[in-house]
Amino acid sequence: MGDVLVKALDGISFEIEEGEFVAIVGPSGSGKSTLMNILGCLDIVTDGTYKLNQKMINEYDENDLAGIRNTSIGFVFQQFNLLPSFTALENVLIPLTYARVHRKEREQTAKALLTQVGLGDRMYHKPTELSGGQQQRVSIARALANNPEIILADEPTGALDSKTGQEVLSLLSQLNQQGKTIIIITHDMAIAQHARRIIRLKDGLVESDARYEDFDV
Amino acid sequence: MFKEYFSIAWRSVTSHKIRALLTTLGVVIGVSSVILLLSLGNSAKAEAEKQIRSIGSNLIFVSVSDPIGVLPSIWMDEIKESAKIAYYSPMVQRPVSYSINGVNTEVTISGVNEDYDYVSSLTMTSGRFLNKLDIQSNYPVAVVGSKIADSLFAGADPIGKTLVINGVPFEVIGEVGARGQNFSGDNDMLVYISYDYALNLFSSRAFMTTYYITSVTEASVNTTLAKVSAYLDSVLPSNSLYRAFSQSQILGIMDTLMSLLTSLLAGIASISLLVGGIGIMNIMLVTVRERTREIGIRKALGAKRSQILLQFLIEAVIITLLGGLIGLGIAYMGAFLISALSDFKVTIGLDTVVLALLFSISIGLIFGIYPANKASLLEPVEALRYE
Repeated sequence: MGDVLVKALDGISFEIEEGEFVAIVGPSGSGKSTLMNILGCLDIVTDGTYKLNQKMINEYDENDLAGIRNTSIGFVFQQFNLLPSFTALENVLIPLTYARVHRKEREQTAKALLTQVGLGDRMYHKPTELSGGQQQRVSIARALANNPEIILADEPTGALDSKTGQEVLSLLSQLNQQGKTIIIITHDMAIAQHARRIIRLKDGLVESDARYEDFDV
Repeated sequence: MFKEYFSIAWRSVTSHKIRALLTTLGVVIGVSSVILLLSLGNSAKAEAEKQIRSIGSNLIFVSVSDPIGVLPSIWMDEIKESAKIAYYSPMVQRPVSYSINGVNTEVTISGVNEDYDYVSSLTMTSGRFLNKLDIQSNYPVAVVGSKIADSLFAGADPIGKTLVINGVPFEVIGEVGARGQNFSGDNDMLVYISYDYALNLFSSRAFMTTYYITSVTEASVNTTLAKVSAYLDSVLPSNSLYRAFSQSQILGIMDTLMSLLTSLLAGIASISLLVGGIGIMNIMLVTVRERTREIGIRKALGAKRSQILLQFLIEAVIITLLGGLIGLGIAYMGAFLISALSDFKVTIGLDTVVLALLFSISIGLIFGIYPANKASLLEPVEALRYE
């Protein structure tokens, strides 16, 4: 970039409460990916502060961030990001392994989660042997592995047809009802409608921040 | 936790079997050749030492050329007392060929005295060795090596047989047990006759005579060596006409030479280990690049730098250790084949095995650390974006 500093996000400030279901929407280039990386502790802010569970994340080092990603945040990606040579069960086991959960407990948790997302009979299948919707459900199970407070979903239905997309969204809604904080990043307003709060980004700024009640459905 | 890394790495290696095998080929070749060469060297050294030791350690060899005949024929007896010589025997050797049923057989005639059997630690399988009377009476008798009966007498008992040397018939009075080969040739194709007889037969006063001398004790070897050398210096016109050295000197020289040769060869072979290591690094770099996305995913799921580093390091070590084990197997086969096809016994010592395996592991660590570190340093955001 040379001497030119490109600010992906500039002067935005908002708070997300525990148990919220938030959609962050905006066109490409609006800074929503950068925001998601910061919220997910994959990246840190160059200036300003990010507080998660009363912790000043911008003061954390790489190892601490890895720990937070491991236990406090569950990622759901557009392209699922499952490891192709691992079975569904093994994919769900990864975050548990990094959390140093005991072997037996690990397996129990992973199996319970896969059953919860409706894949109890597909645990030993590899991603290529699963449909897109099933793969996304595996990745949701993986996101839930260490029982994080936040599920961060980046275009979770982007690679799915509308029917399976709906299924995934209702699964996320269900998790929200069980108390998880859900943050969906999307460019699609139709997807965002499922959330109870919509934060619109444009050119690195918050354009609007509205609760569900304010919306015309 | 370690078990998990191992299983992840093992999985990655086994999912690219051919690649892993080709990658580790350098290590396979390196380890097998280093082990084989070290073992060959050690076995050769042990064999040489055993042979030399079997001759005796208070032994001194003096080779003298006396072309103008200045040395009195009894010079050794003159200095026997002062030089602390226990026994000695001169030896002059000439090759003779026999043609039996159209087959040419080369035999070496050794002119020695009655003490040669002692100084050379000969064992008799039948009959007796030359004695003082044989030497003094100048009666033509011979003692034969263990292969002579087969070569010249069609396997019959040679005792009492007649062996014609340069037209003179010799009566065979004894047979010596097998002595094997050494650097001076096949010791079992020797025929021993009296030293004076041999000189007369071949009219070879001018030829080199080697004196086998045993000093009174092992401790007096150096005294004997010094006295003999001093005497020869005073009598012979030039000190280039004789060479005197002790058994322990030869042993020392042999030892140094063999060790040098062994480490030189092993050194050359270990270059392939280096090349193998570079191959590992190369493939690990490719692997890290190929699996950038996997690294990104793992980091997003909470993998720490150290955990990613360990995963790839263990993978590199598994590959090299596998190469080391395959190399070890090949070395064992090689040693078995050499032992089976020649009379040379090659044994692979446990220390060599441990050394080779430690070496393979170190190569994995040394050449794996850079790619593994590179993997661990990937930014999760960048890595996740990688296609």
